[in-house]
Amino acid sequence: MKRVAVIGTGQTKHTKARDDVSQTELVREATTRALADAGITIHEVDAIVLSNMELFEGRALPEMWVGEGAGGYRKPVTKIATGGTSGTSACIAGYHQCASGLFDIVLVVGWEKHSEGATQTGMALTDPLWDRNVASGAVGNFALSISQYVAERGVTPQQAAKIAVKARRNAARNPNAHLQMDGITVEKVLESRMLADPVHLLDMCPQSDGACAVIYAAEDRAKKLCPRPAWVRAAVTRHDQPYIGDLDRRLVTMRTLRDAAREAYQRVGISEPLKEIDVAEIYEPVSYAELAWYEALGFCAEGEAGRLIDDGVTEMNGELPVNPSGGVLSTNPVGASGVIRVAEAAAQVMGRAGDHQVADVRLALATGYGVYAWSDVMILSAG
Amino acid sequence: MNNDTMNNGVIIAGVNLLFNYAAGEAASRFLIALRDEKKIWGTRCPSCQRVLVPARSFCPRCFVDTTEWIEVGPTGTVSAFAPVFHLADPSGFGNPKGLSAALIRLDGADTALAHFIGETDAPQIGLRVVAVFAESRSGHILDIAYFKPA
Amino acid sequence: MTELLRVSHTMTLSWRYGTSWYFAEFIRALRDERRLLGLRCPVCRRVYLPPRVVCGNCYAELSEWVEVKDSGTVRAFTIVHIPIVDPTSGQPRPTPYGMALIQLDGADTTLNHYLAENNPAKLRIGMRVQAVWREERRGTLSDIVHFAAMNNQTMNDEQ
Repeated sequence: MKRVAVIGTGQTKHTKARDDVSQTELVREATTRALADAGITIHEVDAIVLSNMELFEGRALPEMWVGEGAGGYRKPVTKIATGGTSGTSACIAGYHQCASGLFDIVLVVGWEKHSEGATQTGMALTDPLWDRNVASGAVGNFALSISQYVAERGVTPQQAAKIAVKARRNAARNPNAHLQMDGITVEKVLESRMLADPVHLLDMCPQSDGACAVIYAAEDRAKKLCPRPAWVRAAVTRHDQPYIGDLDRRLVTMRTLRDAAREAYQRVGISEPLKEIDVAEIYEPVSYAELAWYEALGFCAEGEAGRLIDDGVTEMNGELPVNPSGGVLSTNPVGASGVIRVAEAAAQVMGRAGDHQVADVRLALATGYGVYAWSDVMILSAG
Repeated sequence: MNNDTMNNGVIIAGVNLLFNYAAGEAASRFLIALRDEKKIWGTRCPSCQRVLVPARSFCPRCFVDTTEWIEVGPTGTVSAFAPVFHLADPSGFGNPKGLSAALIRLDGADTALAHFIGETDAPQIGLRVVAVFAESRSGHILDIAYFKPA
Repeated sequence: MTELLRVSHTMTLSWRYGTSWYFAEFIRALRDERRLLGLRCPVCRRVYLPPRVVCGNCYAELSEWVEVKDSGTVRAFTIVHIPIVDPTSGQPRPTPYGMALIQLDGADTTLNHYLAENNPAKLRIGMRVQAVWREERRGTLSDIVHFAAMNNQTMNDEQ
């Protein structure tokens, strides 16, 4: 295995609807920015990995039609599909391609244009035998699991709302973030429309148009091309049973994230994640999920997640800033969302995160979350 | 969506989905020229010099922005064709009977446009054709109804 | 600036899903006998309802049918307020409506289904519910309309 680092990242401005570009052009925008950030041209890229939820846009073979925007002409192009984890899974696949020694430079691009599609209906096209007749979308299924988490851990709607507020306040310092909500408060979150008890509109992520690209280089090239690359130290993925009723209290146990994090920490030698990790970009589609992820990621003991946000531990100026970018709660082009987590974590290590840069980042965590319970974990470091 | 029904261990399911694809600036300009002026435009790659039709914002081979808009056609040459009589219409874009699918290299273009040819019983490679514009145009690739022998 | 176009496109699609012997048997018992059948894992002994042919934990093949009651315990619930398209009608489902993960008596997994109750104040994890069946069963999970709170549910509450 070769050592591999992220040497460049690129994002579009994420927004509700990008009418000025097709999907292909949206992907090219992110790709061009990542190439510029890495200081290379498309001709130096050896292979490309893509991520997109094509059902949302009803476009077959997006790796062919849209892959052109990633510079796929006469290059090896693949697409990775693992639901919401697709973006982080594509990043892990791209890392594998580079670490294997097969390719020196690998480009990963994820994108989604929710404005073009029938996202809610697409989400309803789940398993036709058992799930489809009782499908209530991502919100309904999340709310079910949240009821269990709240009952066992005693987290309050106010604590969840604080997560939602933290995300949007952080997003205000990220020019690429979709939601820009001046004056967001806990009260405004709690007063927003109820989607599915106890999830309010502002507890939930938006649907965005956007793309994000990450460029990896193998060790020799990375050292030549980048003064402070973000080295991949661990890349772990775990999937679980697909039917929500088969999983035992999935938000409480969250065994995919728990197991993936444990393995990743072991590889890097992390024993106290809250103290040792400098910044985290985690995939939190709903405010309550971030609280559950704190426990699964070992940031706190079971039942302590509410205290973590009450004490401001995960705020920008806290001990472990979580989602300085504003997270999925502020920006969610699904196929890109996982790539954004990795790109943001890498940018923090590289010192290129702009106004939402955390000081002195040496160790950064990125996670992906997908349908019901799938999880990816990546750890990046400066050394 | 339609009813899911169960029959002999088989589930029949259906769905209606609406999509709204953003054309983007370059394709919008191309489609608006079809709609408002009955003109066909391509874009030239400053690197390989090819004129791409339909107009593209960038050259997929050279990965650079196209810079120059070039009017092409409405005449061109058939470079491939295939009769299509009972083709199912999964695209929803329509495929009227009697037309053949064809690739047409428009005069001034370096790429071929995928479209239809009609008003001929003997399509052949090398046939010179000209665009027939639809009466009612909405900014759509079928604002060119088909191509006919020139 | 150029006028920016969107190309609209409605797709009507249909699918024909093959199921499996165990799905067919579950549906037969549900439709013809108003009985619910789960499958037991030979390794971990978990009873799956809905039935599974492979245990996701043990990767063992399941073949032992176990009768499961149409009453059970609410393990998770929510009231949905957003109109989600109901795949069985094509129309947005009228809101608000209750949903739950219900552990049926005799099963170890939970069933994702609807509740008769849509007032969150009247719902609790641990409350007992009973299936309300459609008069004429067609052979789908929707033959159970929803689950309703059992009479004297407080007394019947799980301890």
